[in-house]
Amino acid sequence: MADQRNKSEYVQEGKSKKRSTLGKWTRRGFIGVGGLAGVGLLVGIGGNAFLNKKVRKYSGLGMGEGDSMNAWIRIAPDNTITVAVPRAEMGQGVYTSLPQLIAEELNVEMSSIKVIHPQPEAPYSNTFMLTQEEPNAFKGYSMMEKILASMPLIATGGSTSIPDGFTNLRYAGATAREMLKAAAAEKWGIDVKDCRSEKGHIINSGNNEKLTYGQLAEAAATINLDGLPELKKKEDWTIIGKPVQRLDIPEKVTGSATFGLDVRLDDMKYAVIRHPSTIGGKITSIKNKEDIEGRAGIEKVVLTEFGAAVIANNTWRAKNGALALRFEEDDAGNGGINSTQISTELTDILDKDPIATPVDTGDVAAILSDDKNQVIEATYEVPYLAHAAMEPLNCTVLVDSESAEAWVGHQGSSIVQNMVNEITGLPKANIKVNTTYLGGGFGRRAEPDFIRKAAAVAKEMPGVPVQTVFTREEDMQNDMYRPAAKSRFKAVVESSGEIAAWDNMMALQSVSNSAIGRIMPAMAPSPAKDEATIEGAANLPYIMKNQRVAFGNHDIPIQVGFWRSVGSSQNAFFTECFMDECAHAAGKDPFEFRQSKLANHPRFKAVLEKAAALGNWGAQDGKFRGIALHKSFGSIVGQVATLSKVGDKSFKIDHFSCVIDCGMHVNPDTVEAQMEGGIVFGLTAALHGEITWDDGSVNELNFPQYDMVRMNVSPKVDVHIMDNEFYPGGVGEPGTPPAAPALCNALFAATGERVRRLPIIKQGYTFS
Amino acid sequence: MELNINGTVKTVDVEESMPLLWVLRDELNMTGTKYGCGVSACGACSCLIDGVATRTCTLPASAAVGKTIKTIEAIASDGNLSAVQKAWIQHQVPQCGYCQSGQIIAAEGLLDKTPNPTDDDIDTAMTNICRCGTYQRVREAIHTAAKWRQEENSLLG
Repeated sequence: MADQRNKSEYVQEGKSKKRSTLGKWTRRGFIGVGGLAGVGLLVGIGGNAFLNKKVRKYSGLGMGEGDSMNAWIRIAPDNTITVAVPRAEMGQGVYTSLPQLIAEELNVEMSSIKVIHPQPEAPYSNTFMLTQEEPNAFKGYSMMEKILASMPLIATGGSTSIPDGFTNLRYAGATAREMLKAAAAEKWGIDVKDCRSEKGHIINSGNNEKLTYGQLAEAAATINLDGLPELKKKEDWTIIGKPVQRLDIPEKVTGSATFGLDVRLDDMKYAVIRHPSTIGGKITSIKNKEDIEGRAGIEKVVLTEFGAAVIANNTWRAKNGALALRFEEDDAGNGGINSTQISTELTDILDKDPIATPVDTGDVAAILSDDKNQVIEATYEVPYLAHAAMEPLNCTVLVDSESAEAWVGHQGSSIVQNMVNEITGLPKANIKVNTTYLGGGFGRRAEPDFIRKAAAVAKEMPGVPVQTVFTREEDMQNDMYRPAAKSRFKAVVESSGEIAAWDNMMALQSVSNSAIGRIMPAMAPSPAKDEATIEGAANLPYIMKNQRVAFGNHDIPIQVGFWRSVGSSQNAFFTECFMDECAHAAGKDPFEFRQSKLANHPRFKAVLEKAAALGNWGAQDGKFRGIALHKSFGSIVGQVATLSKVGDKSFKIDHFSCVIDCGMHVNPDTVEAQMEGGIVFGLTAALHGEITWDDGSVNELNFPQYDMVRMNVSPKVDVHIMDNEFYPGGVGEPGTPPAAPALCNALFAATGERVRRLPIIKQGYTFS
Repeated sequence: MELNINGTVKTVDVEESMPLLWVLRDELNMTGTKYGCGVSACGACSCLIDGVATRTCTLPASAAVGKTIKTIEAIASDGNLSAVQKAWIQHQVPQCGYCQSGQIIAAEGLLDKTPNPTDDDIDTAMTNICRCGTYQRVREAIHTAAKWRQEENSLLG
């Protein structure tokens, strides 16, 4: 399905229309409305915040012809239903799943829906991301939600799109439906009870007369409803919970989908950026600026506060120019940072007092120090990881004297607007954000750095759109990495199999302190209060008589960031492998050992048991199995990895059986796809992923040094989705954490050797 | 130089050493072919050169003179999707979609040479990176496309 971002609207057959061709609305209209959004909306937020005419002012920008029912839905006379999806499509399917929520209640076919990504306005705030509470703009916001909506974070991440939109968007659809019914009733002079809606029509139940939504939209848009409509019951759903085909896939098989790097504007220039060679360093001068500027096709060589860039009439010429730049640099004292030092520092932190002890039940120290008890002890380690999304980071910016415009695949449209505002000083109301498809996000595209950098480069070429790209090498060497971490466990397991004591001390950098500090410094938690550090380590479902979970902070000037599944990406590996160690130490079956400790958590127990059944746990078929169970982002996932041994330390990963309890789900095929992909993402980290440091910079340059799981190693994956009526959890991330421990536990079953350090291939294992 | 792209001869004035990828993307605004790594390691830039799936980020455009170049934009003909593209939709293969132009080109190249590939054939031919991890669906879609192509051929024959 075509959307507002079609290439034809960027470049109209060579004619110069670049600044007014996006959407039907004018620049002046945008500025006026944007100004209102900042001031007027505060008054409006409360009960029924974003309903009908009061909020028509604040919504519908770029939504084309027709009348807005609310901030998410506009209906055109030709019955096109334009749906505003304020979340970024990075492969996780929101371009389809969020419209499904609306289509279900509005009673329209998915094929009648056209999707746009709206401007960053308050109604689209992702309040769930910050409150972790179910928001509903139609019932009214809590005080915290009102505050959050007044300085909106329009962002995609933390597997929150469905939890944030699940109630809100169904009410968006239902209220629109009721407004259309009320408009029809008024027109026919009948009671609204005698009107029903069906497939884009309102029908007069008395005489079967019909009006299309398009015929009613103008009248409906002025109607104020009394109270809230009833939502459909789960058993009546025909679109939610069904494997609806994704709306973005047709254009992704023809090469016509527009990613950020595919934006083409008249007179556009291409810039390739070079970063300082040392982390935290600075390029102080360019030694050969004139030489490079003299090359064919080069427009300009610029030095910004973030680095240097070569602006040219073609990416390849810009890249060659950028590679040839010679600099004077200041390494900010970071030129000695190296991986050996990092590993030593992490161990030192494990030996020191923690900065926080989020779990401390019973008396762990007494059990561990009792000579009668045998203490199991192990230390695990994971390296820094890059995101390495397939589409190298890029952003296109046009800076004019009064306004600016950005074209970018970013996880947060409000972040884009804020960063362009910060760099250019232009008012936010005059900064337009065009959200393209994202060639992978994984947390990297929530970062503000590449927007700041692109805006700083574009500012050097006023009036000219400039597409700034990181080469793959610049992308890999200037990431906001998943931090390296060490985790030390001590445990006492009784002969009965009960865990008498579980002591877990971790050492790593604080992701939230680093990442949120780059986006909203005032909201960045201190390292001691960072929930991301302990997620997946402090909330274990297992019964433990005495438990302590503590951590220390690694203070080093490496920028770390949210990497698909964040703290759980390492903590699931640590905790679920050590659970396996405890099971084997007690002479218990790893599945039964876990199962016996889940009496307080029936949902976990059901997932574990289903995963074991799906994975043929206990089968005597010459294969080796490992199991892992982990909850992240509101969803519980259990996985069984099945391996075949093909030689000494050489294996084939035959199969992953994956069970997810994500509560109610919107699109089961998308849930399955996210599990399949999440497992491959986890396996890539487990098998290959490692970013290493020497002389203050990253050693890995590109995929040959930072390899990925490919077709030949990728396992067959079976997915089962638990059926229940719990509020939805996320699905974008929870598939990743259990993959590494399930694999490593299977390797232990095969070899008797415990892998305690990732990546696995660096320990002499091979996979085919 | 003159390049035969999707059945049309295009004249471009570029350096001999400019990779075909950048000629397509930046000189001709044909952006379906993607930049992923620049070192022929990921396959996002694949095009069919004389029918063979070829990574174009390291292929000088001058080396493609006199050969036929087919890009993702020409895999569908007259608006009709190829069997591979249809199978990609049937199996809902793409997630982010960025690598899929290259995956589809690689699959077309494979099926042209090996109409009924085994899983081993697929492992050998399909070495493109998909960061979203769509490999299982790529494999299934190739098997489906192989079946559909054979059915089409038997109908035509």
